[in-house]
Parts: sequence; C-alpha cells; structure tokens
Amino acid sequence: MSKGSQSSSIGEGIWNFFSSVKLSFSLLLILALTSIAGTLIPQKEAPAAYVRGFGEAGWRLIQALGLNDMYHAAWFRLILAALAVNLVICSLNRLPTTLKLLRRDPQEDLASMRKPRERFTLPGAPQDNLAAAEKALAKVGRVHQGQAPEGTVLLAQKGGWSRLGVYVVHLSVLIILAGALAGNFFGFAGSVNIEQGQTVDHIILDNRQPKRLDFALRLNKFTVSYYPSGMPSEYRSDVTFLKNGQPVKQASLIVNDPAEFQGIDFYQATYGESLNLKVSYQKGDLTREVVLSNQRWRELPDGTFAAVADFRKSIKMGDKYSGPFARIVYQDKQGDTQSFNAFKPGAGMPSAGPVSFAVLGSSSVPYSGLQVKYDPGVWFIWVGCTLMVIGFFIAFYFAHRKVWVRLSPTEQGRTRVELAGGTNKNRPGLTRLLTRLGADLRGQEQQAE
Amino acid sequence: MEALSNQILVVVTFAYLAASVLYLCHWVLKADLFGWTASVVTWVGLAALTASIVLRWLASYQLGFGHAPFSNLFESLVFFAWTLALIYLIIELVTKLKIIGVFAVPLAFLALLYALSLDPAIKPLLPALKSNWLIAHVITCFLGYAGFGVSAALSLMYLVTGQHRQASSPRALLLDDLIYQTVVVGFILLTAGIVTGSIWANSAWGTYWSWDPKEVWSLITWLVYAALLHSRFMRGWQGKRIAIFSLVGFGCVLFTYFGVNLLLSGLHSYATGKG
Ligand code: HEM
Repeated sequence: MSKGSQSSSIGEGIWNFFSSVKLSFSLLLILALTSIAGTLIPQKEAPAAYVRGFGEAGWRLIQALGLNDMYHAAWFRLILAALAVNLVICSLNRLPTTLKLLRRDPQEDLASMRKPRERFTLPGAPQDNLAAAEKALAKVGRVHQGQAPEGTVLLAQKGGWSRLGVYVVHLSVLIILAGALAGNFFGFAGSVNIEQGQTVDHIILDNRQPKRLDFALRLNKFTVSYYPSGMPSEYRSDVTFLKNGQPVKQASLIVNDPAEFQGIDFYQATYGESLNLKVSYQKGDLTREVVLSNQRWRELPDGTFAAVADFRKSIKMGDKYSGPFARIVYQDKQGDTQSFNAFKPGAGMPSAGPVSFAVLGSSSVPYSGLQVKYDPGVWFIWVGCTLMVIGFFIAFYFAHRKVWVRLSPTEQGRTRVELAGGTNKNRPGLTRLLTRLGADLRGQEQQAE
Repeated sequence: MEALSNQILVVVTFAYLAASVLYLCHWVLKADLFGWTASVVTWVGLAALTASIVLRWLASYQLGFGHAPFSNLFESLVFFAWTLALIYLIIELVTKLKIIGVFAVPLAFLALLYALSLDPAIKPLLPALKSNWLIAHVITCFLGYAGFGVSAALSLMYLVTGQHRQASSPRALLLDDLIYQTVVVGFILLTAGIVTGSIWANSAWGTYWSWDPKEVWSLITWLVYAALLHSRFMRGWQGKRIAIFSLVGFGCVLFTYFGVNLLLSGLHSYATGKG
C-alpha cells in the first residue's frame, strides 16, 4: 500500500518534471548549444584525420563522446527523445483545461464580466437599446444574454479555436520527429552507377552492402548539355524501369527532378566515362584477352580479379616508348591486391610479377551515377512542416477575444452602456475592437437623433 | 543593363551610408529636418535597389540563361539589404519612430558594402541550383533574416536608449512589443526557409536533412528563437531580457550566414590537408 503510493508519487514527479515548460526552454537551448559541437568538429571522418587534428588523446575523447558522428550519438538522440516526451506530456497536461475553456457555459462568462473599458450613456431605456447592442455585438460572434443585478449583460466571443494553434505546432514537431524515425528505421539510401545501355537490378547501400531490388533499371542514354560558356547546364539520364524483364515505365532524370518507382526515388548524382580496356592477361603459360573496367572488378579466367586504376591513351617516355599506359589492380585468390603497369604488347616497362598485362585497345561508354532512396517517413515530414506553419499563423495571429456589454438604467431615464473585454493575447488589438464597438453604438445614437 | 544595375548599387550603398548619418544626426540633434531627409533617402534607396535587382534579373535573360537574382552570396546580400530597408520602413511608417533607423539602416549599408567587395558577375546556374524551391528558400530565409535584423536593431536601440529603466512607459512597451512581433515574423519565415530548403535538398540530393554545418546553424538559430518565444510566453520575460535574447539570436543568424562559410570551412581544412 505504502509502496504503491510511493511509486505513484515518483510517477507524479516524473510527470511534473516532463510537463514543465522550464524543461522545454532548457532542452531547446541545450540542443542549440550541443549542436554547435558537431559543426566545429568535422563529422564522419577517418580516425586518422581526427588524430592529426586533435591528437591521440583528443581523438579518444571524441570517440568516447561520439562527437565524430554526434547527431547520431545516443546522448543526442536522448535529448531529442526528452523533448518529444516533454511535448507530449505538456500537451496532455494542458489540453483538457483548454478544451474545458472552449466548452465553457456562456452563462458562467456572463457572470464574470471584466472591468469596463468604455463607458457612456444612450437615450432611452435599456430595452430600447438592446437590439442595437445585440446587432453591434453580433459582428464579434454569437450573442448570449443574461441578467445581472446591475442590468442586462450581453456577451460575444470569437477565435476560441485559436487556442488550439499551439497544439497544432507542438503536434507538428512530433510528426516531424516521427517521420525522421520512420525514415531511419524503415528506409534505406544508396547509389548505383549504370553504363549507357546497361541494366541493373541492385544498388550499393551507403554502408557498402549490395541490395537487390525487385525490379530492374536500364540506362538508355546519358547526356550533358552545356551553356555557351562551356559550363554544364543539365545532366540527364533517360531510363526504363523493368519488371520481370518487361519495360513498365520510362523516365528522364535530371538534377532536381528525380523519378520514382515502387516508392523508391532515383536522383541524378554523378556521371563519368566507364572504360572498357582490352588487355592480354598472362600468367605462366596462360594468355588470354580480357576486358577490364574502371568501374568494377572483372573476374579473370583463373578466378582472380582485376580492375583499371588509371589509364592514359598515350604517354611518351623519352624516345624509349610512346603509346598507351594503364595501371591495373589485381586481386589474387588469397584476396591480396597488387598493382601492375601495362603498356602496348612487348614494349615499355611492364611490372615484374606472377602475372602481367598488356594493353590491346580501349573504348569507353558514358555512365550515370544515381542516388537511390527509399524513405517512408518523408510524407510525415512534409505534413508536419505544413502543419507547423499553419499552426504558427493560428498561434501568433489569432486571439481568443470576449466582449461584454452591460446595459443598465440611469436615474435620468437613459441607458448606461459599459464595454469590457478579455483576450489571451494582443491587448492593443482588443482595445481597438472595444473602441470601434463603442463608436458603433454611439454612432447609432447620433443617427437616431 | 548589368553595368547599370551595379552602378545603382554603388550609389545606393553611399546613400545608405548618408541615411545612417542623417538618422544619427536626427537622434543626437533632435532636428526633424534630418529625420525627414533620412526617410526620403532611405525610400529612394529602396526604389533604386528594387530597380537594380529587376535590371539584374532582366540582364540575366539578355545573357541567355535567365534566372532570378537570388543564387549566390552577392545577390543574397543585395536582397538582404532590400528586405531590411523594406521591413524597417514599414515599421517606421507604423510607429513613426525614426530612431530605429539609427540601428537598422547601417545594417543595410554594411550588407551592401560587403556585396560590393564581391564579384558581381552574373553567372549561369549550376544544374543543382535550378529549382523554384531554391528561389523560395532564399526569399523566405532572407525575409526572415531581415525580420531578425530589424528586431536586433530595435533591441539595440532599446538597450542603448535605456528603455529598460522605465520599462512600463508606453514607448518601452511599444518597443518591447515590436521586438517580439519582428521575432515572430522572422521565426515564421525562417521556418518556411528551412522547410523550402529541405524540399529543395530532397529533390536535388535525395535527403531533406544531412546535418551539414550550415543546416545545423540554421537549426541552432531556430532553436534559440523558439526558446525566446517560450521564455516570453511562460516566464513572462520582457524588455531587457528579450532585447538581449534577440541580439543573441541575430548573432546566430550572422554566424549561420557568414561564419559558417568563413570559419568552419577553415576548421575542416586540416582533413583535406590544406591547413
Ligand atoms: C521544438 C519545438 C517547439 C516549438 C517550435 C514550439 C513552438 C511554440 C509556439 C510557436 C508557441 C506559441 C508561443 C506564443 O504564442 O508566443 C508555443 C507555446 C508553448 N509551448 Fe512550445 N514549442 C516547442 C516545444 C515545446 C515543448 C517541448 C514544450 C513542452 C512542454 C512546449 C510547451 C509550450 C507551452 C506550454 C506553450 C504555451 C501554450 C499556451 O498556453 O498557449 N513547447 N510553442
């Protein structure tokens, strides 16, 4: 029993802690301050770069605090989570009060008229002025009427719904955080290079793992267009999406105008020339012609791999050699890599080693580099952002205003009119409204006379 | 056309220097003639700036690759000065307080002066910059920055003229409210600026947020102003505290805009072996 009440008071303590706006004020500033660190310390560099910049001890500290990938560090995420919890609990705490305020019985408000701000008299008894007062007040909102000891009280209010603006803003923050989380957990990002004419059905994720798609993508044509000055003006990839080998959709990818297929987005990112280098490969007695590429490893007839690291169509080495030159990386069956110089057959100074290469010919094809992204959270982000801006307008530019008019008889048989108002913000605006209403009512008097 | 546009800029820069001095004279000597002249010069300067921006826009079409003039540091500085002058002049019209000009117009002058030190050539757009979202991004960000800039000018004036020693006088209350209102305008526009920037990044690079230093600094700025709004709402902070807060916020704006490019890239250089 006592244990139960103790735990509930701990729960209450936690609840109160998270419902405090002081906490959100602090969290906003803490987020701002800690974020600075990640802009001063370069993110996601190789360890050696940190050691060079900050020393061995500095690097250990950076590593321990996760400052080399700060925005993904657990402690940073924890601050974000605390902000989210803060928002949820603060809103849950206040929403019932706000709703009660909006549903309040007008009779209660009629009885709690504020201090009058405008006061004047009109000819005639209060009943004679009632209709005019109602008419003036109807411009504010629906008019409620009640009886007070001093006389008749009218009340109208508007903009009560604007009290919900703040909740819209806070909800939008949560939606954006939820969208970011969804993207993190269920989305992926990667890239793929496709040679013109080639079809691919897998991409390389950012963590270097290959990922198979359940459709294929063919690059029909890649084009670069230029401004007269020679600066590139547009990169364009014309692609076809294929499902089970059948073309399903055509698209033109240009920078700033991605294409989507089955929820996955493809963005024009880079381009280049993909080299097809015809070489003769010699290992012991074996000599074969093979085609190597600068884009990926090619398997050689004996199960080893090779790729082109560098290629010049023509070099000159004094008068000893002139002709093509290539640097070829070679990976043997043990996975050890080594690089070799290759020249035209029987000339130059080929590297000595267990294998040798000679350049027979070359051709090149343009390739296009695409970014690939699947992010199921992105629509949350856009919905959240839209709601946030709408919420700001409601929260900042609309107010909940109440206006009371009291009509009471004077000893001279005239009507005393008193105007009062209440608002949750923008007092000058309320004052202007009361002045206008007062002028309205007195203006009717002048017309009547 | 391009040359004319640039010549107008030079003239407006000097005009805003003159207007700054005139506003100062008005403040110190309390002579209406100075204040009146200062306002006229600032208005004419605004009209000339508008002409300069439009001419630049037209000139880019004449060069055969027309694009809106909001694409590089030079153009954004000119636009920043334009929005500063516009927002300030509107506030001057509404409040009749010329003293704010002592602090706001020099800011526009400095922005233009900095622009004049840069290369004004109109260049065609790189493919990644061809986006209407980018234009919306630049416009909203700079309107927002100008809102914050005017707020900071108001704050500086609030502090320098010692309003906080008579915080409940009508003028101090009016200024306090203006500081808050301009922060609100800035905050909404900065939010819109970050959002449109994310939309652009998402269509250009496939990611709406990549935590690069510039993005993070705009977020820091946003967080600081969000904290300011909460402090006012919940703790009833007013007057001096809000004025100081607004100045800190504008410090973040300036750092986001200039500091990130000038200082942080320097810190990065060790990694690329330049430092
Ligand atoms: C990142 C996020 C946040 C943003 C952008 C934001 C934005 C806003 C805005 C625009 C207002 C209206 C201020 C005004 O009318 O002057 C407001 C008020 C408020 N905020 Fe936040 N807020 C954030 C986070 C939080 C958090 C975490 C809490 C948690 C408790 C919180 C609690 C409040 C409260 C209690 C109000 C006053 C509501 C009222 O009584 O009308 N906010 N916020």
